[in-house]
Amino acid sequence: MSETRTGRLVLDNVCKFFTQRGGQAEVRAVDGVSLDIQEGEFLTLLGPSGCGKTTTLRLISGFEMPTSGMIRLDDNDISFRPPNKRDMAMVFQSYALFPHMTVFNNVAYGLRVHHVSRAETHERVENALDLMSLTGLAGRRPNELSGGQQQRVALARALVVEPRVLLFDEPLSNLDAKLRVQMRSEIHKLQRRLNITSVYVTHDQVEAMSLSDRIVVMNQGRVEQIGSPVEIYRRPVSRFVADFIGRANFLEATVLSVEGERVTVRLLGQTATANVNFKPQVGDTVIAVLRPEALVLRADATLEQCMVDQAMYLGSAVEYIVSLGDQRLVIMETDPREENVFAEGSTAGISLIPDSVHLLAE
Amino acid sequence: MRRLTRIRQIAEFWRIFQDPVLFIGLVLVVIFIAVAVLAPIYKMVEESRTEKGQELFDRYLTSPVYQTIIENTMRMGLITAALGTALGFLLAYVQVKVAVPFKRFMHIMALVPIISPPFAVATAVLLLFGRNGMITRGWFGVRYDIYGLDGLSLVITLSYFTVAYLNLKGMMLALDPALDEAATNLGASKWHIFRTITVPMLIPGIAGSFLLIFVEAVADLGNPLVMGGNYEVLATRIYVSIVGLYNTTAAAVLSVILLVPTLVVFMIQRYWVSRASVVSITGKPSGTPQQITHPLVRWPLFALAMSVCLLIVLIYGVIIAGSLVKVINVNNEFTLDHFDFVINGYGAAAMEDTTKLAAIATPIAGILGMLIAFLVARKKFLGRSALDFATMLGIAVPGTIIGIGYLLVFNRPNVIDLPLLGNVTLIPKLTGGRAIGGGSIAIIMVYVIRSVPAALRTGVAALSQLDPAIEEASVSLGAGNVGTFWRVTLPLIRPAFFSGLVYAFARSMTTISAIIFLTTPRTRIMTQQILNEVENGRYGNAFAYCVILILIVLTAIVILSAAVGTSSGAERTVEGGA
Ligand SMILES: Nc1ncnc2c1ncn2[C@@H]1O[C@H](COP(=O)(O)OP(=O)(O)OP(=O)(O)O)[C@@H](O)[C@H]1O
Ligand SMILES: [Mg+2]
Repeated sequence: MSETRTGRLVLDNVCKFFTQRGGQAEVRAVDGVSLDIQEGEFLTLLGPSGCGKTTTLRLISGFEMPTSGMIRLDDNDISFRPPNKRDMAMVFQSYALFPHMTVFNNVAYGLRVHHVSRAETHERVENALDLMSLTGLAGRRPNELSGGQQQRVALARALVVEPRVLLFDEPLSNLDAKLRVQMRSEIHKLQRRLNITSVYVTHDQVEAMSLSDRIVVMNQGRVEQIGSPVEIYRRPVSRFVADFIGRANFLEATVLSVEGERVTVRLLGQTATANVNFKPQVGDTVIAVLRPEALVLRADATLEQCMVDQAMYLGSAVEYIVSLGDQRLVIMETDPREENVFAEGSTAGISLIPDSVHLLAE
Repeated sequence: MRRLTRIRQIAEFWRIFQDPVLFIGLVLVVIFIAVAVLAPIYKMVEESRTEKGQELFDRYLTSPVYQTIIENTMRMGLITAALGTALGFLLAYVQVKVAVPFKRFMHIMALVPIISPPFAVATAVLLLFGRNGMITRGWFGVRYDIYGLDGLSLVITLSYFTVAYLNLKGMMLALDPALDEAATNLGASKWHIFRTITVPMLIPGIAGSFLLIFVEAVADLGNPLVMGGNYEVLATRIYVSIVGLYNTTAAAVLSVILLVPTLVVFMIQRYWVSRASVVSITGKPSGTPQQITHPLVRWPLFALAMSVCLLIVLIYGVIIAGSLVKVINVNNEFTLDHFDFVINGYGAAAMEDTTKLAAIATPIAGILGMLIAFLVARKKFLGRSALDFATMLGIAVPGTIIGIGYLLVFNRPNVIDLPLLGNVTLIPKLTGGRAIGGGSIAIIMVYVIRSVPAALRTGVAALSQLDPAIEEASVSLGAGNVGTFWRVTLPLIRPAFFSGLVYAFARSMTTISAIIFLTTPRTRIMTQQILNEVENGRYGNAFAYCVILILIVLTAIVILSAAVGTSSGAERTVEGGA
C-alpha cells in the first residue's frame, strides 16, 4: 500500500472471450473495451442483459483474466494480479454476506485479513456502522436483517477497507422499488462524500442517470457511448443508445440547410435546427430522435393531424400513444390541465418543442 | 503481437502459482491420491498380467468351479442391490410421504446399520434364524438352513440399505411439493401421482442406490465369511487365496475379475448421479409435502416398515444380550466375562490401537475430503474431474483389492536409483513384519482413502448450494485462497464436514476387508479380532467387541458434535443473505 492512493483506473482495449465447452464457438463477452476512469469518478456500466457488464466488472476485480488488453490502476499493470491484491472492494448483487458471522464480524473481515490492530478495527467498524445507520445491529446475523439492512452491511463491509476502487454489481436489484430509491440516494451521498472511484453495473437506466458522473452504454461486449447522463440522454450517438436510454420516437427528416455543424431539417410539417457531428448534404434524409416530451398535442387544424390511440393520465403527466400514418409515437405532456387532455379516438395537431430535436445520420 | 499473446498465456498460467499454499496443497493431494489409491490398484492389475497371472486367468474363466463363484457373486450382488434399494425406498417413502407414528424411531433404526461392525449382523441373524435359531428352532421348531444365498442376501441387505434410504429420502424431500399439488389439481389420484411423478423423478436416485449397494455387496467380505456356507463368492475366494494359500497372483487375478464389473457399475452410477442434479434443480421446496392418510395405504406400509425396524432392534438386542450371557441360547446365565476378556485381556490393545488409528485417520479424511471438494468444485485446473474420479476409486474398488494392492506396493521399500545420490528410499516398507509403525501407517492410509470419497461427495454437495459470491467477497476484501477456505468456506460447509468426520470414524472402526491383510502383530485391529472370535465360535467375545465398538463410535460422535457442532449450523441457510 505504499503506492499513492488515487484510484485512476484504465482499461486499454480489453477483451474477454469465453470458449464454450464442447463446441469451438467463442463468446465475445467483452470485445475491445477501453475506459479511462478518473479518481473519484462514479462510472456506470449500462446495457441490456448479456452485454458484458458483469464480465467487465469481474475483469476489473480480477475474478476473470482478460484474453487480451491491459488493465491499469494508477499506472500499474494489474491485468493478472490476483483479486485479493487489487485493493478494490466489491458489493455483490446477492450481497454475499458471510452467514456464519455477525454484522460486526462481517464488516471487520477485511480489516482482520489485513492485520489491522484490534483497537483500530473496532473503531473503524463502529464508524462504518454509524455511517450506514446500522448501530445497534452489530451483534445480529445476516439472516436476522431486512433486505435493506443487509445491503447496507454489504456496503459497510466494502467501504471499511478504504479501497481504491469500489465495484458494484447490480446492488439494488434485490430490493423493492421504494427501498431502491432510498438506497440509491444513500449510495449517491456516500460516494460524493468519500470520493472513492466507483464502477457500478446496472441495467436500470434511472439508477444509472441519477448516480453517475459518466455512463458507459454497452452492447454485445462493445462500448456504444460514454458520456454524462445529459449527453447520453440528449445526444445519443446511435439508435441503440437512444432506444435504450429512456424512450424515443424516430422520424425521418429532410435536410434543408447545413451551416457547419448546424443543420436545419423539415419534419412534421415544421422546421427544426440541431447540432450534428456528421456531414449531411442538403436534401438528405436523416433520422430525428424525439423524446416523448419533445412533442405536444394541440387542437390546431393547421398542424399535422394524428389520431389519439391511447391517453393515460398519470397525475403529473399525461401519456399519449398516437398514430401518424403507419407510425406510432409516444408523447408525454407534463402538468396537463384537465380540460386540455385529448380523449382516445379524437384527432389532434402534433407540434415540436423547439431545440429538442436530435439528429442521427442513420 | 503474437509474442505478446504468448506472454499473456504464460502470465495466466503463472497465476496458479501465485498462491503457493494452494498450489502446494493441490500437489500434495495429487501425490497422496496417486500413492495411496492409484499405485496399489495399478500394481494389482499389473500383477495379474504376469505370465503366471495370464495362465490363471485362462484357468479361472474356463473352470466350472470359478464360473459358479463369479455367477454367485453377481447373483448375490443383484439380489441385495434390489432388496436394499426397495427397503431404502420403503423406509424413505414412509418417512417423507406417509402419515404414520414413530417416524423418529424408524429414522434412527434406518441409520443404525452405519455403525454395524462386520460379522455382528450376520452372527446375530444366524443365532436368530439359523439351524439352532432362537426363532426358527425355538418358536417354530424348524431346522432352517440359513447359510447360503438367502441368509447372505438378508444380512447384506440389512447392512447396506442405509445408503439407499439416505439417498432417496434426500431426493424425496427435495421434490417440489408444488408438483404433487399441481397433479392433484389436475385430478390425479395419489396412486397415479406415485406412478407418474414420484417414481420417475426418483429414478436417478433409485438407480444410483442400486449400483452403490451392488458395489458394496460384491465387495463385502465379513458377511460371506460367516453366512456364505457353501455359497462361495469372489471376495471370500480372494481372502482364502491370500490367507490360506499365500498366492498373491491368484488373488490379484481374482481381484481383477471382481474389479471389472465393479468399475463398470461405478461408472454407470456416476452417470446416473450426474443426471440426478437435473432433478434437484426443481428448486426449493415450497410448502410442506402432502402426506398420505388413506388407511389402506398407510397401515400396510407402516406394518412393513415397522417390522423391518423391529428386526433391526431384535438383531442389535441379540448382540447386546449375547455379550452379557455365557453362551447365548445355550447357557443364558448373566456374565461380564466377555467384557472382561475384551477390556482387561486380549482385547485391550486392539481397542486402543484401533481407536487411535481411526482417530488419526478421521481428521485427515475429513479435511482432505473438504479440500478436494473445494478444489474440484471451485477451482479450474487441468485434470479436475480426473482427481475427483481417482479419489472416488478409494471406495469404488473392493476393499480386498485395496488390501492386496497395498501388500504388493508397500511390502518392501520403494527405492529409486538417482544418478548422483544412488539409491534413495522414496517410501519405506509400510506393510508386513518390520514395517514402520508396525504397519500402522498403511492402515491409516487405507482408513483415509476409504473415507475420503464420502466426505468429498457431501462437501461437493454442500458447496454447490453455497453462493460462490460469498467466497469472492472474501477474496475481494483481501483474503487469499487459503484464508478464504479456513475462514469462510469450511465454516459454511461445517455440517458436511461433520458428517464426513463421523462417517470416516465409523467406517474406519468397522472396516475389515481392506485392512485384513495389513494387520501385523504390532497393530491389533478390533474387526480382525472379532473375526477370530467368530471363527472360533466364541460369539460372546465377538459380541462384546461389537458392543464396545459401537459405544466407541457413539462416544466419538458425541465428541465430534461438541467439537464441530451441527445442530443449529446444519439447518442454517448458507446463502448470501435473505
Ligand atoms: N463463465 C462464462 N462462460 C461462458 N460464457 C460466459 C461466462 N460468463 C459470461 N458469459 C457470457 O458472456 C456474455 C456476457 O455476460 P455478462 O454476465 O457479462 O452479461 P451482463 O451484461 O452482466 O448481463 P446481465 O444484465 O444479465 O447480468 C453472455 O453472453 C454470457 O452468456
Ligand atoms: Mg450481470
